[in-house]
Amino acid sequence: MTEVSVEATGETVGEAKWSALRDLERKRPGLDKAAVRFQVVSEGERGLLGVGFEPARVVASVEDDGLTGEAARSSEPVGGESEDGARLRELVDRITREVGARCRVAIDESDEELRATCDGPDLGMLIGKHGQTIDAIQYLAGAVLYRGRFEERKRVIVDAAGYRARRQTALEALALRLAEQASATGQRVELEPMTAVERKIVHERLKEDPEIETLSEGTEPNRYVVIVPRNVAV
Amino acid sequence: MSAVAELLEWLARQLVDDPDAVRVEEVERNDATILQLYVAPEDRGKVIGRQGRIARSLRTIVRASSARSRRRVVLEIVE
Repeated sequence: MTEVSVEATGETVGEAKWSALRDLERKRPGLDKAAVRFQVVSEGERGLLGVGFEPARVVASVEDDGLTGEAARSSEPVGGESEDGARLRELVDRITREVGARCRVAIDESDEELRATCDGPDLGMLIGKHGQTIDAIQYLAGAVLYRGRFEERKRVIVDAAGYRARRQTALEALALRLAEQASATGQRVELEPMTAVERKIVHERLKEDPEIETLSEGTEPNRYVVIVPRNVAV
Repeated sequence: MSAVAELLEWLARQLVDDPDAVRVEEVERNDATILQLYVAPEDRGKVIGRQGRIARSLRTIVRASSARSRRRVVLEIVE
């Protein structure tokens, strides 16, 4: 009898364990979860404001008794994950593997939102130029998951280790700076082409500003935000 | 069938009403591999999406997965 083991990381030991269990389950579908042993390699560091963050590391192992048959396969979602959560995980998992951005996927669910967060060494590949790969995955995941179930629809977010939050902060800072420039000079300012998700962040951030208005111009995928001062003609 | 063609077929099946009609064919042209996606005529809108957003997302993923193989891969939705 041999042993199968996987190592996984997570923000907390609990998350790392859970992620290790998922990986192990992929290798040995239908494994007996009670027989899995965990070894904590590192507790990890929470860090402060993203500085000094170290993921928790856990090794999970199980005696391999060849339990891989169809009969042993369990279709039940793991760890209380809903069916939609499990489907989102599978979608993100398959697509990221194919684009060469293998990563661990953590699913968070709330009443309005279903979020998949990826962590791994190739996040640049996953995000893609101007975020277009990760946005494409996010859009497709939403379309596939809630096809024909419009009333049950939740917001689907695919994220890569804090990418969305970082990007939002950067875009908001840019939006404010360019809005100021537009009102100071009385000239319209055109931003770089962005995805719909990102344009919305800019529009939202500036919608309360009485001195300017924002609109989108150009055709996808080169659509961009324009900031127009209100006191001059467009 | 290549892995990217399999992924495309798997995704397309989940987008349409008639998954059995989904088929992907790979055609080699001198400068690129063409992935031809066939769906039932009533399902064509489902793989194109509003303002072509689904088709564009599929293309982005196909392009991203071919970046490693150095061969251009193009998605064609067959009429």
